[in-house]
Amino acid sequence: MSELAHPDELLPWYVNHTLPAAERQAVEAHLRGCERCSAEIGFLEALRMQVKQATGEHPPDRVGLQRLMREVRAAPTRRERPWLRPALAAAVAAVVVQAALIGWLWTRQPPIEPLGGPWSGGVVLQVRFAPAASEARIRALLQASDATIIDGPGALGVYRLRLRDLRPGDRRAVAKALAELRAARGVVVQAEAE
Amino acid sequence: MPTSAADEGGILLAGIARGREQDMGEFYRRYHGRIYAFLLRRLRNAADAAEVANEVMLEVWRGAARFEARARPLTWVLGIAQHKAVDRMRREQHFAAEELDTEDLADESAGAVDLVARVQDATLLRRCLERLSDAHRAVVHLAFFEDLGYGEIAAILDCPEGTVKTRMFHAKQGLKRCLGRLLGLDAEGGAR
Repeated sequence: MSELAHPDELLPWYVNHTLPAAERQAVEAHLRGCERCSAEIGFLEALRMQVKQATGEHPPDRVGLQRLMREVRAAPTRRERPWLRPALAAAVAAVVVQAALIGWLWTRQPPIEPLGGPWSGGVVLQVRFAPAASEARIRALLQASDATIIDGPGALGVYRLRLRDLRPGDRRAVAKALAELRAARGVVVQAEAE
Repeated sequence: MPTSAADEGGILLAGIARGREQDMGEFYRRYHGRIYAFLLRRLRNAADAAEVANEVMLEVWRGAARFEARARPLTWVLGIAQHKAVDRMRREQHFAAEELDTEDLADESAGAVDLVARVQDATLLRRCLERLSDAHRAVVHLAFFEDLGYGEIAAILDCPEGTVKTRMFHAKQGLKRCLGRLLGLDAEGGAR
């Protein structure tokens, strides 16, 4: 494959490591005997590095997210899709069965304390619990932190916790609360401020 | 088993398709910066880039059910960003103020070592990137900031792979010429 004419068109993708194997091998064979293309690789690698530095990181914009979520909530409800109808019927049936089961269990379990509300004030954190963490350990941690689960789990297992006694502007207290949650090894694998 | 960023992005999109706001928030945190960087490179205006990035995210909320798992979430969402950017540029009749002359190809007068030194001058490079055409700048950004293959870039820009390669070739040659010219001007200025 070393008989490739100067493979100028492929070199940028050789540099960013996305060439398919066959093309990568052909370029490598060519580079072994071509000073011109080796020099071109040097230019492209420097260019790639500078483009990354010049572009920089753009951390998530909290105001932008708040604006987006307002618009998301105001967006019209999506249209029902035809295949949803049987799925909905199955879901309703499952809910009925679960309700009957819960009713039966309710008579066998000690009463659960009603959750506090409304959920206003405080600071909201996002937490991912360790898969092996027991309910008892999670409950103990939440009680020690005076935290309440207000949402979740999301698709990636993230819960939203509200710490009612903290003020959003009190960065030191928020950082301390995050540090305490993160220190709960075996219970918390990730904790971030929202 | 650990999941890749693409897998997690796909999971989030599935959640968004079911109307889960929390997954939308997480998707925003993961992808907004990259969408904004792409739009800023294309539109060259921070306010426009932020506005269009918000439109892209709303489109994700409305259209997540259209995402097909065989694509990468990043490719899919940058494709949406590309269409929104083109719409914005058409609406505002956006043209590059000064586009590089890429007809004259290589700047053969510059040696390879010179070119590497020139491209490492961040100020010069930024000025030259700004002077590329929109289409050329997009390819450079996707290849060297996002490290995407030519196939994915073609999917995002909705053009043939050959066009992506050709645009990259001309962008690279234009940058070389620009770097050479600016270095010459700066050298003259410094000698005064």
